[in-house]
Amino acid sequence: MWNFDFYKTNNMKWIKLGQIFDPTEHTLPNGCFGFAQSPQTLVFDDFVRVYFSTRARDDNGKYLSHVAFVDFDKKFQKIIKISDKVVIPLGDLGCFDEHGIFPFNVVRSERRILAYTTGWNRRASVSTDASIGLAISDDNGLTFKKVGAGPVLSASLHEPFLVGDAFVRIFGDTYHMWYIHGTRWVTHTVGEPPDRIYKIAHATSADGISWQKEGRQIIGDRLNDEECQALPTVIQIANRYHMFFCYRQSSDFRKNRSRSYRIGYAFSDDLVNWTRDDANVGIDVSEEGWDSDMQCYPHAFEMDGEIYLMYNGNEFGRFGFGLAKLEK
Amino acid sequence: MFKWEKLGRIFIPQDVPDREWLKEFAQAPATLVFDDFVRVYFSCRPSPDENGQYVSYSSYVDFDRHDLTKTVNIAHAPILELGGVGTFDEFGTYPVSVIRRGADVMAYYGGWTRCESIPFTVSIGVAVSHDDGATFTKLGDGPLLTCDINDPFVLSGPKVRIFGGKWYLWYVAGTKWQRYEGRSEAVYKIRMATSNDGLNWVRSGENIIEDKLEIDECQASPDVFFYENRYHMFFCYKHSLNFRKNDRGYRIGYAVSDDLENWVRDDSKVGIDISDQGWDGQSIAYPHVFEVDGQTYMLYLGNEVGRYGFGLARLESYTN
Repeated sequence: MWNFDFYKTNNMKWIKLGQIFDPTEHTLPNGCFGFAQSPQTLVFDDFVRVYFSTRARDDNGKYLSHVAFVDFDKKFQKIIKISDKVVIPLGDLGCFDEHGIFPFNVVRSERRILAYTTGWNRRASVSTDASIGLAISDDNGLTFKKVGAGPVLSASLHEPFLVGDAFVRIFGDTYHMWYIHGTRWVTHTVGEPPDRIYKIAHATSADGISWQKEGRQIIGDRLNDEECQALPTVIQIANRYHMFFCYRQSSDFRKNRSRSYRIGYAFSDDLVNWTRDDANVGIDVSEEGWDSDMQCYPHAFEMDGEIYLMYNGNEFGRFGFGLAKLEK
Repeated sequence: MFKWEKLGRIFIPQDVPDREWLKEFAQAPATLVFDDFVRVYFSCRPSPDENGQYVSYSSYVDFDRHDLTKTVNIAHAPILELGGVGTFDEFGTYPVSVIRRGADVMAYYGGWTRCESIPFTVSIGVAVSHDDGATFTKLGDGPLLTCDINDPFVLSGPKVRIFGGKWYLWYVAGTKWQRYEGRSEAVYKIRMATSNDGLNWVRSGENIIEDKLEIDECQASPDVFFYENRYHMFFCYKHSLNFRKNDRGYRIGYAVSDDLENWVRDDSKVGIDISDQGWDGQSIAYPHVFEVDGQTYMLYLGNEVGRYGFGLARLESYTN
């Protein structure tokens, strides 16, 4: 374990290192042509692998999200490899992950690598639903095999739909999952499709397969009760747990810079009680450039004594992701 | 060996006036016995929408306890509202299984929503009644049971029973979807879960009734009752493809168990089949067996899975 005492976590500041991957400049597997969403890392001895979700179009012109990865040297100066094979296949007809896997969260567990997937399937009255699946890699993360055709975490009595964005870490003997679930579909403009509202929640497990939901919203709303909260990522620095996530207004959030995703922050000393403290997030949209309209899908990780934040910029990551480093 | 005497069709949805939500179908009958009447819950449909699509509701009809062919009351509203936009039961509540729990009545039901690549999916919801089963309140906007690792698809057809203080749920689990003549058709099998409280369930995730017709045989309506010291299951089964309006549709099957875990299928003992002609001359489905005043009865659906209502049969004889 690294000694992180020199981080002043009550006043974080991230140094932006810029956009490090633009999917439109590379050939991607599965016929994917753009988007590199929700970057999530797996650190090896001499390189770092970044999984992301990219997109193809099906026969009807609708999007399918596929998982791919890019390997960087540990200074992020050079791309070593981009996945050229199927990392994980989409589900068969009628499966929860038939139309996409996004995001894709990896965690080491003994000699294996676990991946918690968010699987998407299209619906009739609303655009989509989602559940969380589990897949395992025995080849150092090149390919993943699903533990079953169905999900490990899905809707329940009080979390009625859109269960996704799993982020799993093992602290002590317990697997912790932070995830989101939908609470309502709301029609803001008559004639337009309904908008979804979702919040961050928490579940625990002894084996990573069978999960117990805590059953409450763990991060308070800042904007209003229709605030959408997504993609929690948790990192332990010294004796404190830090959560980054993104949040936005529930409507008019795609093009309107003032209502789009920003990165939020909360901290906890016991993994139970979280204090939201966006004033100390230490990062915001740029004046101009690739992350000037929005910032979303953060991923915090440590590597060789440094703490990094990866995230997407404008248009939900259509043009890739960037990197920031925590100032000491 | 069972032998059932058919008493004829006792409920015809097309004959019921003044209920827009009850125009066709009376599916999946399930009983609750009262002092003077037997309440039969069933699922029904209004006329289809402009695209030919149906929603389904559940409600009830009361029959005279001393003459089960005589209707004494028909509910004036469905027992459950359809779910809000995006919820698992937005387009249907079918079928429903009721059971008393203290002074309350619990209802477990299949909630239907519509999908893009497949026509629908189903999860199991739960609701409670504090007025003897006249109206029910859902315990949540979401499902009680939905797909998991071992049950990846449709989860439907709940039938809840209590034996020896333990709760049992027999349900229908989709095992795959297949494309056939431009449609997506589901394959589904009978499975079981257990619970101590009716709310927290442990599923085995395994098929419990062996196939007879084909590996893709579809099985539904697993209705279990205890009689003459054994557990008896009546259910229905059909071919997975090309089963509409022909002789590949539902028949009633039978299995027996001494421990509620291991079931031996033996359709030769079922003692009921389609009629030569008439409302149940093509298929019979969704059996429900119940006992009242020392007599055992079976409610079941006829042609087109209950489009034209359900009928009653009386147990004439049983030999082990």
